[in-house]
Amino acid sequence: MAFVKLNDLEIEVEDGTNVVEAARQHGIEVPHYCYHPGLSRPANCRMCLVEPHEFFPPAGAIVPARQLATGCTTVLRTAPPERKLDGKYDSIVYTDSPRVKKAREDILEFLLVHHPLDCPVCDQAGECDLQDYSYRHGHDKSRYLEVKNVPPKKDLGPDVLLYSTRCVVCTRCIRFAEEVSGTGELGLINRGSHDEIDIPRSHEGVPLQVLDNKLAGNVVDICPVGALISKDFLFKSRPWFMEKADSVCSGCSVGCNITVEYKADGVYRLKPRFHEDINQHWMCDDGRLGYHYVNSDDRLQLPLKRVDDELSPTHWADAIATITEKLSEVEAEDIVVIGSAQGTNEDNYVLQQFAHDVLKTTQLGLFGQSPGEEHKFPQFTIEADKNPNTAGARTILGSANGNVVLEGDALWEKVSNAKVVYLVSGASERTLEDAEKAALESVDFLIVQDVLPSEVTQVADIVLPGTTFAEKDGTFTNSTGWVQRIRKTIDPPGEARIDWEITQQLAKQLGGEMNYHFAGEIALAIAENVPGYADATHQKIGDAGIKLT
Amino acid sequence: MSDELIQIETPFAFNEENQREFDKLIGRYPIKEAAMLPTLHLAQRQAGYITPAVMKYVAEQLEVSVMKVKDVVTFYPMFFEEPVGEYVIRVCHTLPCALRDCKEVLDHLKAKLDTDVASETNLAKGTTADGKFTLMKVECLASCDVAPVIMINDDLYKNLTPEKVDEVLNNL
Repeated sequence: MAFVKLNDLEIEVEDGTNVVEAARQHGIEVPHYCYHPGLSRPANCRMCLVEPHEFFPPAGAIVPARQLATGCTTVLRTAPPERKLDGKYDSIVYTDSPRVKKAREDILEFLLVHHPLDCPVCDQAGECDLQDYSYRHGHDKSRYLEVKNVPPKKDLGPDVLLYSTRCVVCTRCIRFAEEVSGTGELGLINRGSHDEIDIPRSHEGVPLQVLDNKLAGNVVDICPVGALISKDFLFKSRPWFMEKADSVCSGCSVGCNITVEYKADGVYRLKPRFHEDINQHWMCDDGRLGYHYVNSDDRLQLPLKRVDDELSPTHWADAIATITEKLSEVEAEDIVVIGSAQGTNEDNYVLQQFAHDVLKTTQLGLFGQSPGEEHKFPQFTIEADKNPNTAGARTILGSANGNVVLEGDALWEKVSNAKVVYLVSGASERTLEDAEKAALESVDFLIVQDVLPSEVTQVADIVLPGTTFAEKDGTFTNSTGWVQRIRKTIDPPGEARIDWEITQQLAKQLGGEMNYHFAGEIALAIAENVPGYADATHQKIGDAGIKLT
Repeated sequence: MSDELIQIETPFAFNEENQREFDKLIGRYPIKEAAMLPTLHLAQRQAGYITPAVMKYVAEQLEVSVMKVKDVVTFYPMFFEEPVGEYVIRVCHTLPCALRDCKEVLDHLKAKLDTDVASETNLAKGTTADGKFTLMKVECLASCDVAPVIMINDDLYKNLTPEKVDEVLNNL
């Protein structure tokens, strides 16, 4: 640990911490553009200048006035005993001295030389470092009278636009494409004050390569200004009008930590949230842009019942009554209950409790999205399993005594011999193979719980409208054993209900003793009854998640 | 994306002689990327100017992204992205040459070749109609003691006056 004097604070930081991070840990802001904790440090924006006294002069030496240095590359370390400053400090750094303040002001003035005053029409306004730092550290007016450079607006790829005029050339996006995605589509063209970010193009401007890797959306997040903009979010909303909730991406089994930004009428965007062991600062575009189904107009809003070979809307009381009637008619061994790898641990826990305690069946199955492709990048992996909770659902469905969780061919064979199947899907993009479809069609009475019309709802006898990850609380267990929380953001559409509530309603109708009021309560039951999940209560999981041991 | 990716119809490759030269070059540097500038010069000498096909080829040879090559090509004014004349005339206009009246030399060249001065992004502006000459202004050619100077392709011409320019052009 290095003992450092930071302004008038005396702090202890780990050896190797840079000044920007050390200051951040103690609530002091060192403004910066090019520095990003997930990328290399070129120190080219000069915004994080600080006044360090970090060299260890021999005793009695006359120390000249130090030059300012960039905070991002000034690393704090323990000094040998004879070189302590003032006899005790390993380093002395000022981030608010008059020299530093003046330097910041001047650097900002340079950065703003070619920057347009288009905040009123800029997507980044409200979450823009240039705006914030200008307000906090900048001049109140511009002294630049000359003509500004006006480089063109550019289309970089399927989801990314570049407003070159707003760019401060921090090169975060270039370093991201080189270091994290390893695809290297981005670079600087021209020279000096004419520098522009671009993809490789011919002299006429036709691209040789576009920014279309699956991590491309991250460059929009790391852009400190409004230069790189997501086409998906362009002109959709002002950032300050959106509510934010910490959640977990449901796109694959990595379980990237995300922030869901939403308004009453739907989800507006997903942004990655830092998690050291899972996704670092990043998320993939499949996950980022995969939320649209939540807002879809096609969402199931009412229970559907097959009447004269057609699914027609009905009301909940009728749907529940029809199901309970069918379920009480058949023997336990003729019933198969299938849980979803898209559902939360809580959904699946209530479902297995319903199967085990009420229906007295131990025949359970696991259903989910069809596997996709695995994509490996130098610092990121997108997994092939497109379900957020395969690991959790598998464990929890199989947690009660004697429960068997069938998957793959064994499941479909079981289904083809069953009379009643209760299938919780939530994986509405899942395509069915002929054998799977035939198995489901052979079932006398198929109950499907889903969020959108899908291939499984087509063959169902009754369809119950469930909820997506954005509409419920709960936990997901990712492929590496991290249990993490998702949080309710918007209300479910129409009369759609939270999945475990539907299951509990069915259980109650059949005389089951189940009375959960909220997901946290179920998590307590999971902690008590599922091996390995003893610490997985919502309180203990918190924002950081816990890793199963 | 509205733009389609560019289709490279005739791929570029070094001819035998340049390939030998390139193999020699590569051996001089610790990493392949470091041979960027000489490789680009070699390729430009063969192709006349840096086309997308050349950028792609150089990127493959040096095992870097195409963007890295584009980056370097746009940074240095000695790499051309459009066709240039057979003779590229670079007129120095930095201070010592300016004091020794390089403007007179430049104006004489403009009048004689009946062309404007090329800009970095528009070389056609400074290229003669017959495609023989491209006239451009450059920064210091490092021969201030013999100012004003011009460089035609790889040769330097010193202590110029309009009369000497005529002589130089006639001897080409």
